[in-house]
Amino acid sequence: MDTPVLSLKDVSKRFGQTVALSGMSLDLNRGEVHAIVGENGAGKSTMIKIMTGVHQPTSGEILIDGTPRVLPGTRAAREAGIAAIFQEPMVFPDLDVAENIFISATDQGLIQKTGELHRRARALIDRIGMTLDVGRIASGLTLAEQQAVEIARALSQDVRVLIMDEPTASLSAHEAGELRRIARQLADEGVAVVYISHRLEEIFEVAHRVTVIRDGSHISTKPIAEVTSDGLIADMVGREVGNFFAKGPSTATPEVILSVKELACGDIFRGISFDLHRGEVLAMAGLIGARRTDVALSLFGIRPATGGTVTFKGAPHAPRDAAEAIAAGIAYVSEDRRKLGLAMPMPIFANITLATLDKVLTRFGLVDRAREHAVAESHRKRLNIRTPDVDAAVGNLSGGNQQKVMLAKWLEMHPDLLIFDEPTRGIDVGAKAEVHDLIREFAAAGGAVIVISSDLPEVLAMGDRILVMREGRQMGILPHDGATQESIMRLATGASSEKAA
Amino acid sequence: MSRLSPQTLRLIALLAVLVLVVAFFSSQIQGYFNARLFNRISSSVAIMALIACAQTLVIVTRNIDLSIGSVVGFTAFAAGLMVAAHPGMNGVVLALYAMGVGAVFGIINGLLVAYARVPSIIVTLATMAIFRSALVEFSGARSITTANLPTWLTDFPNTTLFTVAGLEFRAAFVLAVVVVLVVHLALMRLRPARQLYAVGSNPEAAEMAGINRKLVVFCAFVAAGALAGLAGFMFLARFGNITVVAGLGFELKSVAAAVVGGVNINGGSGSVIGALIGAVLVDVIDSSLVRWELVSEFWREAVLGVLILAAVAVDAILGRRLVAMRIRREREKRQ
Repeated sequence: MDTPVLSLKDVSKRFGQTVALSGMSLDLNRGEVHAIVGENGAGKSTMIKIMTGVHQPTSGEILIDGTPRVLPGTRAAREAGIAAIFQEPMVFPDLDVAENIFISATDQGLIQKTGELHRRARALIDRIGMTLDVGRIASGLTLAEQQAVEIARALSQDVRVLIMDEPTASLSAHEAGELRRIARQLADEGVAVVYISHRLEEIFEVAHRVTVIRDGSHISTKPIAEVTSDGLIADMVGREVGNFFAKGPSTATPEVILSVKELACGDIFRGISFDLHRGEVLAMAGLIGARRTDVALSLFGIRPATGGTVTFKGAPHAPRDAAEAIAAGIAYVSEDRRKLGLAMPMPIFANITLATLDKVLTRFGLVDRAREHAVAESHRKRLNIRTPDVDAAVGNLSGGNQQKVMLAKWLEMHPDLLIFDEPTRGIDVGAKAEVHDLIREFAAAGGAVIVISSDLPEVLAMGDRILVMREGRQMGILPHDGATQESIMRLATGASSEKAA
Repeated sequence: MSRLSPQTLRLIALLAVLVLVVAFFSSQIQGYFNARLFNRISSSVAIMALIACAQTLVIVTRNIDLSIGSVVGFTAFAAGLMVAAHPGMNGVVLALYAMGVGAVFGIINGLLVAYARVPSIIVTLATMAIFRSALVEFSGARSITTANLPTWLTDFPNTTLFTVAGLEFRAAFVLAVVVVLVVHLALMRLRPARQLYAVGSNPEAAEMAGINRKLVVFCAFVAAGALAGLAGFMFLARFGNITVVAGLGFELKSVAAAVVGGVNINGGSGSVIGALIGAVLVDVIDSSLVRWELVSEFWREAVLGVLILAAVAVDAILGRRLVAMRIRREREKRQ
């Protein structure tokens, strides 16, 4: 075996009292896709930041081609051939694609030669098998396209180690498949690819080796052929998770709470018809661009429908804004925690009571701090939000715990219908199971749930029935029994089903 | 495929507004539209264009420089003192001296914003007051008057370089336009200038791309200081009389010109050509209101305020429209 292109030897990192990494060792070889898995907070981000020169190890060393090296900053890491792309790509919205790709290139003269730049950018985009106009402004690119830009940027600098941090978390199945193909292709070209993902099934598809880390320490590194999904999960959580993706029994009642007929909204979507029962969980599956979120936003009043009828709790339902939908008893938990969900700098308790502050007022109209805390505290216990107290800023919590805070905020309104958009995107396996349990619990107590998810195992684990959409049309509703990832995918991709993974 | 970017469209729209404004005042004020209008506007635009250009450099990096008026005042005074003591000194050297003094103020702003990480609005709000007080202290409440200055300096702004159809192109105006064009070319074509836009467009990504974000922001402030210094030199040459209130209110005008000229207040986009046209528009309105009998000239400041609001509002609305249009077009393309 060659000398590893990049090694960590016994690397530890402390932030004040917190130990983020302890005695971490890892070898990355040329030409391999090396998957790294671990729960949120296991130390993956810290490790990436050390490899990319953002953080310095407290102890231990970094070896490049077997030689100890110090990476004092991101520039040094780039020069050593180490680049990272993230779930939220780092693009410059005001620059064009070619400028984005070559923003940190140093091999050019002082004066920008636009034609030359575009030609080279096109060559890189072609090399990763994408189609993209290199002269267009980056603002408005899809996430997948932005990631392509970032990969091209890394390639332009002769990348030797490419770290992909949760690259497919926000992509549709087709886009994710493309990205995995690119990861494999780069490895074949001799790059060491680090692939971090919460989706275990894609790790089996893309990785040569897989490393599990837990609590800042290295647990295991094995060739992919020698591991199983259960084994990985066991290593990650340090305990066996019994049949994680198995679906609980349906608690659906005969009472129809929501009836949607031929719902349409401009040219965005049309022909959406379904009934939802109390106690039932309806999963909405589809690729990115299937317009599932738009249907949800329509039911929630943000994007009022332009056609069709909706009956909710026996009354016509045509909300013109979110306030009307909320008053009717609908809660919508957004897929974008950061933008639409939580006030990150505010404490947990304030986020939980944000929408229901009326309930915790004193007689004089002031906020009753004690009651506010009591409400938040009860949610913290029930949802198992891992924090020492509810005064901590939400921004300091892990993704999974942020998701629980968001859920708590909406549950506090005691809605009859809960619409949960991508409930477990980017959160770890343990927290995922907890969120799923909470959704089930809500349904069992008589609530109705719509779960929008791009994660097929999740769709199968949650949905009593599965509504599949494609480009604004309803392709079909599958009962849970008999539905498979393949059958959903076939509907979601329509005619081009043979291209889907 | 059409390569008319939203930026270019915006400039065209801006020029259209300028024509409308001139047409409006022509209908209101007797003998308004003639060659003298051009001469008057071009004289004052020479200074406005430079500070608008300076402000643009800073705003593009997602910062703001409120101290710009104080820097203009201080450098005007310092340059006046210098030339009063050495009447025979070379004009280029004097201009460079003023730019150097301005750059020192830029260094102070830049160090505090980029390296001490104090938000620029706080830093420059403070230095606006500090630099102004420094001017009061430095000047000892004396004034510089035209009598102290050599005639070559006071003649400079009014020297007509060439005349086209009765329009006099005076030295100060030509110099300012040349400076703006040079800065524009540098911003568009120099690779390091891309980093200016990158930092304003997405600061975290710039950091990850290995761009020295602090240095970029620092350089923007220093360049803005130097340009403000040059504006101070022009201010001295044009007015001759420099008191402690020189350049007062220029921060508002410079921000107005930049924003009206299409510079995104959130950083990342905008051009100095836009800022130049913005400066012309602001100046035309500003100076025409004085001559318009219907409105008290005390409303001039308010009009500036309304202009800023209108420009930002129009930008926001147009921006949303454009995005919606593009999404629709791409969807049609896919079908």
